[in-house]
Amino acid sequence: MDRIDDVLTRYFAPDAKPPRLAIRSAEASADALMKLADRIGIEAGARGIRRLTLAGDDDVTTGGRAHARRARREVTEFLAGRRTFFSVPVDLEGVGDFQARVLASANAIAFGDVRSYAQLATSIGAPKAARAVGNALAANPVPLIVPCHRIVRGDGTWGNYALGPRLKTALLELERRVPLLIGCVTTRIVCRRGCAHEQRVREDRRVVFASVGDARSVGYRPCLACRPAA
Amino acid sequence: MDERAFTRVAEAYGARFYAVAFRLLGNRADAEDAVQRSLTNCFAARAAYSPRWPLSTWIYRALTNVCLDELRRRHVRAEHADDAGSSRSMPRFDVEAVDLERALGRVPREARVLLALRYVDGLSYGELARIRGISVNTVKSQLARGKTILRQTLDLPDGRQARRRTR
Repeated sequence: MDRIDDVLTRYFAPDAKPPRLAIRSAEASADALMKLADRIGIEAGARGIRRLTLAGDDDVTTGGRAHARRARREVTEFLAGRRTFFSVPVDLEGVGDFQARVLASANAIAFGDVRSYAQLATSIGAPKAARAVGNALAANPVPLIVPCHRIVRGDGTWGNYALGPRLKTALLELERRVPLLIGCVTTRIVCRRGCAHEQRVREDRRVVFASVGDARSVGYRPCLACRPAA
Repeated sequence: MDERAFTRVAEAYGARFYAVAFRLLGNRADAEDAVQRSLTNCFAARAAYSPRWPLSTWIYRALTNVCLDELRRRHVRAEHADDAGSSRSMPRFDVEAVDLERALGRVPREARVLLALRYVDGLSYGELARIRGISVNTVKSQLARGKTILRQTLDLPDGRQARRRTR
């Protein structure tokens, strides 16, 4: 045992009085999100999803049936905490140039991360347009798929949300407890949560990584289907 | 496995789970939350538990999974933060602990997790490999790499060199 072992042993010594631990039951927000999944209505065309509403009924035009089916599956998985990204195509025809830029920037925010309205305004090159960014997000035709719930006020409070403030809280809580990168201990492949390959990994064979670089450093490789490094 | 048996193990290992989470996350609230969440995750997925593993190994995997995801989130947040302030709190007013905490910040995350598990609970290389789903050789190389970085940062002599010098 050399000096570093002594130093580490002293540093990592457990506390004599740990906090009291208990097994918590599932959070109430999870139920709210599953109810939301039943209320979502999807408008889809041949080019992709045009709108997500709380109307409950789908409005599908010719060629949009497959997109609507895929969107419903992905939204349900997302709200159940089994998916962290959407791959269904979105048709934003009719959306103005400014709003399209805001939505594209919001879409780039990673799962589990948040930005302020001002940061989003700066990212699209309009640092004084935080309020206009808020209006553009309020009119987001595809909430959840374009994650406008990941934009909060600069003071840390949630702010408004197209589907209601309670759902914004529930969505942000969900993203806090669902991991993004899952590795399979038998195949040594790391996927994004929600990838078809990841969904087949058994519960006792899952390990979480903080980045693809970390996974590579211990012998894992990124999945070629969901490309977590991209 | 029933809730009572599970709670018994959680209580017996509670201090060690908390120590791992606290040393990885750096503050009491996040550490408590991580331990609670990992226990809840394990209990919810108890059907997947295989008795050929000790229950503590299984909970350690869930705990490191929760801690690493929290570290990922912090890394992303720090990249986009307006002011790059550190969220880690100093655990003790102890110069050695403060220096070591800073030095551990330079150790790659995977090696840091393995160091915490190794020095909190004295887990074997095989147990560490099972917890992180990696090979025993990778565990050894990650631990050696982590300790080399710590020695260099803290300006401590290498154990083997020191022994050679005394002969």
